Amino acid sequence: MPKLTFISSSGDRHEIAASNGASVMECAVEHGIEGIVAECGGSMSCGTCHIYLDQEAYERLGIPATAENDLLDFVNAPRRPTSRLSCQIKVDEHLDGAVISVPQSQY
Amino acid sequence: MTSTTILSKIPAGCPMHQAGERFQPFEHKGMTDFYASVRPEVPIFYAPSIDCWVVTRREDALAVLRDHERFSASNATAPIVPWPEEMHQFLRDQHFTNESVQVACDPPRHTRGRNAAMTFLNMKKFQNYEADVRALARSYINEISNSGKDIVDLVESFTYEYPAKVAFLLLGEKQLDARKLKQWADLRIKLIFGTLTHEQQMEAARDLADFWHFASALVEQRKKKPGDDYPSALLAARAGDDSILTENEVKSLVFGLLLAAHETTTNAAGNLLFELLKRPITWQAIVEDQSLIPNAVEEGLRYATSTIAWRRRAKVDVEIAGVQLPRGSQILLSLTSANRDEKQFADGEIFDIGRSNARSHIAFGNGIHHCLGAPLARMELRILLEELTTAFPKMRLEDEESISFLPTLSFRGPDRLPVRLNR
Ligand code: HEM
Ligand code: FES
Repeated sequence: MPKLTFISSSGDRHEIAASNGASVMECAVEHGIEGIVAECGGSMSCGTCHIYLDQEAYERLGIPATAENDLLDFVNAPRRPTSRLSCQIKVDEHLDGAVISVPQSQY
Repeated sequence: MTSTTILSKIPAGCPMHQAGERFQPFEHKGMTDFYASVRPEVPIFYAPSIDCWVVTRREDALAVLRDHERFSASNATAPIVPWPEEMHQFLRDQHFTNESVQVACDPPRHTRGRNAAMTFLNMKKFQNYEADVRALARSYINEISNSGKDIVDLVESFTYEYPAKVAFLLLGEKQLDARKLKQWADLRIKLIFGTLTHEQQMEAARDLADFWHFASALVEQRKKKPGDDYPSALLAARAGDDSILTENEVKSLVFGLLLAAHETTTNAAGNLLFELLKRPITWQAIVEDQSLIPNAVEEGLRYATSTIAWRRRAKVDVEIAGVQLPRGSQILLSLTSANRDEKQFADGEIFDIGRSNARSHIAFGNGIHHCLGAPLARMELRILLEELTTAFPKMRLEDEESISFLPTLSFRGPDRLPVRLNR
């Protein structure tokens, strides 16, 4: 099970063992990580599951699809180069060790 | 189990039994007080008149909405009073082939409808409509200004039509008759969520068929001449491939949008204005500082929820708030009650446009069916308030007692909003 570290906007760290095949959003919600609202349940319409990945993990994943890229322009907290929608990232071994920062607000 | 046997199994002295007996699903008056009185003790109760288990707390409602594996949306828009065979036959004769594609479907069927719809119903597209929506809002303001009247009904002169006209923008049609669309939709709402007599049902069926023919004709036109609009986007997503979406599904999605996009928003606009205008100090606050408007919109959606309740059906045996429900049980999620749940909203019974977590309401649902029009609805409501506060800052509610709410299971909105403009 890949290990993911979530860092909250106030700096708290949570390490979780994520399930392969689920999305990062689903794992975060399942483990009670605060600050990931995910109003649309992963159907990519709300933009409230925004996260910042660490540079390395971001690069390993490759560029996001067009629809995700478009929606990232509408997230509430500032969009940064490694911004992603966590519902669009599938957990697999590539993601092991990723450090995920949760923005201060989702809306 | 019949509905009466379910109720008889719950001891008469139990608060859950009493809640089921006191609950009046179609009566809006006193509804929030009723929920406030039961919510602390009764997270769920059975309502025999509609054969539904009613969920009163946010946490439980949210859990059901997010669990599409165990809770089906198949009953979301099922008629409360079943349609008679005569009506089904009539609709068949009229080639009324509307099918569920989205809001009342479960995955994988829902996924295909939603994916196609999202190619157009998304934030990036909606953003392009801001100027048109504002121009539309201003056209209503101008009409009101030019009427020379001191007292106007804001429903009649603004909020009844406005969201329908915005829906027409999405359809790429500016010159349609909004009143006609509204009549169709009003009837359809009553057909699903109201309690009509047989005659009324048959009359409504004729309008339903008209409404369908209208949606079909629109899609046919776009097949010949595509534009930058919702029907064309659906046809493009389909790309002639029935395994992606059939033509009948495209028509059904357009038909569905014609209802989803405006009735809800008309109600939300009326409810929001009603709460603000009832409180002249609050109205004054947004007049003086328009930056308060977006959160006032959220508080309106929370406090005066317009889609008051939404249905699901248990696909397997489930437990909600400690109560075991057999597979097949119908569940009514009270969004109204959830949105005032004290556990999430401190002093939830108070309307407070400065509330910091107002937006955590579930007025747009949650999970995979979360309202696709939410960003557009928010924009419409914000622009409505920006324009009205600018044009008529001294406006006051008149004759508050004359305002009433249509009796349906799922929707709530004022039938009129008389105001004195005080120009
Ligand atoms: C304030 C106004 C509105 C309210 C309160 C509202 C509320 C809702 C609710 C409660 C649902 C069902 C959610 C669920 O089953 O979990 C829904 C679904 C939907 N709404 Fe809205 N709505 C509004 C405006 C709009 C507008 C303007 C549009 C279109 C432009 C729209 C399009 C839709 C669609 C397409 C769905 C189905 C989504 C799906 O099943 O995947 N709505 N809405
Ligand atoms: S959960 Fe809504 S966009 Fe990711």
